[in-house]
Amino acid sequence: MTRGARAVLLGPYVLLLAVFFLAPIALLLAISVSRQSFGQLEWTFTLHHYVRFFSDAYYVDVLGDTLLLGAIVTAVSLLLGYPLAYHLALTRSRWKPLLIVFILSPLLVGIVIRCYGWMILLADRGLINETLGQHGWITKPLPLMYNKFGVTVALVHVFLPFMVLSLTGVLKRIDPQLVEASQTLGASPRRAFFEVTLPLSLPGILAGSLLVFSLAISSFVVPILLGGFKVHVLPMVVYEQVLSVFDWPFGAANAFVLLVISVALIAVYIKVTERALRGIV
Amino acid sequence: MDRALEQGDALSRAAEPTVELRGLVKRYGATAALDGVSLGIRPGEFFTLLGPSGCGKTTTLRSVAGFVTPDAGEVLIDGAVVTGVPPHRRRVGMVFQHYALFPHRTVTQNVAFGLRMQGLPKPEITGRVAEALALVQLPDHGGRYPRQLSGGEQQRVALARALVTRPAVLLLDEPLGALDKKLRDHMKIELKRLQREVGITTIYVTHDQEEALTMSDRIAVMHRGRVEQVAPPRGLYETPATAFVAGFIGNINLLAGHATGRGTVDCRGVKIAATGAAAAGAAVLVALRPERVRLAADESLDNRHALTIAHVVYQGETVRYVLRGDTGLELQAVELGEVRFAAGARVHAGWSAEDARIVPPDRP
Repeated sequence: MTRGARAVLLGPYVLLLAVFFLAPIALLLAISVSRQSFGQLEWTFTLHHYVRFFSDAYYVDVLGDTLLLGAIVTAVSLLLGYPLAYHLALTRSRWKPLLIVFILSPLLVGIVIRCYGWMILLADRGLINETLGQHGWITKPLPLMYNKFGVTVALVHVFLPFMVLSLTGVLKRIDPQLVEASQTLGASPRRAFFEVTLPLSLPGILAGSLLVFSLAISSFVVPILLGGFKVHVLPMVVYEQVLSVFDWPFGAANAFVLLVISVALIAVYIKVTERALRGIV
Repeated sequence: MDRALEQGDALSRAAEPTVELRGLVKRYGATAALDGVSLGIRPGEFFTLLGPSGCGKTTTLRSVAGFVTPDAGEVLIDGAVVTGVPPHRRRVGMVFQHYALFPHRTVTQNVAFGLRMQGLPKPEITGRVAEALALVQLPDHGGRYPRQLSGGEQQRVALARALVTRPAVLLLDEPLGALDKKLRDHMKIELKRLQREVGITTIYVTHDQEEALTMSDRIAVMHRGRVEQVAPPRGLYETPATAFVAGFIGNINLLAGHATGRGTVDCRGVKIAATGAAAAGAAVLVALRPERVRLAADESLDNRHALTIAHVVYQGETVRYVLRGDTGLELQAVELGEVRFAAGARVHAGWSAEDARIVPPDRP
């Protein structure tokens, strides 16, 4: 295909990105450095909103919590997802298509319905606490919901498919003879996993982690429903500022801080893993 | 590598085979991949498992490596039964068809891998890796990654990696299959040189008869999970034990008939004097190499029959004649040099009884 034809075919998507992604971000940046008085935006340049963000311990704490939540959700998804992906990549079972549907199932249910499902399970008078209580194993309900635990569980549930699919794709492409080769050279199956399979699956770990992390720190509905406004994450603050307080510039500044910091973290993460990726990609 | 050489010498004096297989059976569902394979591979020997795909040669090799656990039978390495021992405790070196070099490690790290698994001290690892890379004539490639190497170089690194741990036996699974013709011919000689130099017992798997004939000390021809014949290359070619071996190695005439007495077979009414035993009346095949058939043969040969030339196929170096008898007997003859006869000509074809081997028909 000629360069011209390729450019033409790429055009629509590039246009879509430019209009609905780059332009809003540029606007966001512009709003975040503007001033607002009596509901009117004044197109000036001020770093006031950023200074306010970083000088208020509350917002810095929320930012920290958001990133920590993202990291925990990513780590848990990775630990749960890796064995799943490993099995999925190697199995020759005829139930494999069914297994894939199961793994994708969280994505097939609407987010609100899924959250209410978790509420039925995790609430103080929910299935888990009631069952444990009836057996006399606990005297007062376990704090499963309206805290970070509940939010983490629900986020891992919905983001696990992204992790599993990213890992499966990479694990499937690892030549099984590499593992065999390491074994003939004296590596036990466990050693072979850590010396060969794990390093070679790093691209999948990288891709899956980045996906889950960026989805988790920008999640909004799940923290509201399962955090019950007791778990504060930055997207919620942005929502409040823009739609409740009507402070658009400060909301925009919050959003931009989250964007810049997550991009920076991702860049560091890629840089770190890149070293380990030499020779693979 | 000196120590490995000494070990090899010491072993070749011992009578005990380095690798011994006793009645290996392996079934996958209804099909038997191995149907009673018994072999003894001598110390320092270059032993080839030869056969078409699906004959069980790779399964046999993988049983020695420990990747296949036989349903019945035993695998012995250096006299010890290793049937239930996992691959990493077997002291085998293996070169895979696509080399299976670790892509995330440099050449040096690849070769050092096995030594690191043995927990050797760093200085010794460095020394032995350098030795191994020198042995395969890649002393300056240590810092490269596998994908920066050519196919032939990857092959050498795979060999160095398999040899550096001084395994009891070297297993080669169609290692030349991924190389182009010219490189393959070169590596054939190179591989054989290395094997001699190191003196390591080697089991080589291939479906390529030419590779098998040029490199091996002995060859086992496998067919449908069984060993058809074990012999040195020349023995296989000149005295095939079964119709399958005869047909698999080189070109051959297989003339169906029945034995009529000591050393004679009746093929479509033509009495053929041949070598080999068969009960009178038994259905047998006579295996006869086309290049052993003389055209315009004199009276001195045991077999001399008047046949008609049906086709002449000019092949440059050689000429192939398809000959037909009055009763429908058909056989081929190959001659060096120019075309001496034309289609339709009547010739006396003759051959020595020694060159016509009686073999049992292929089992169903």
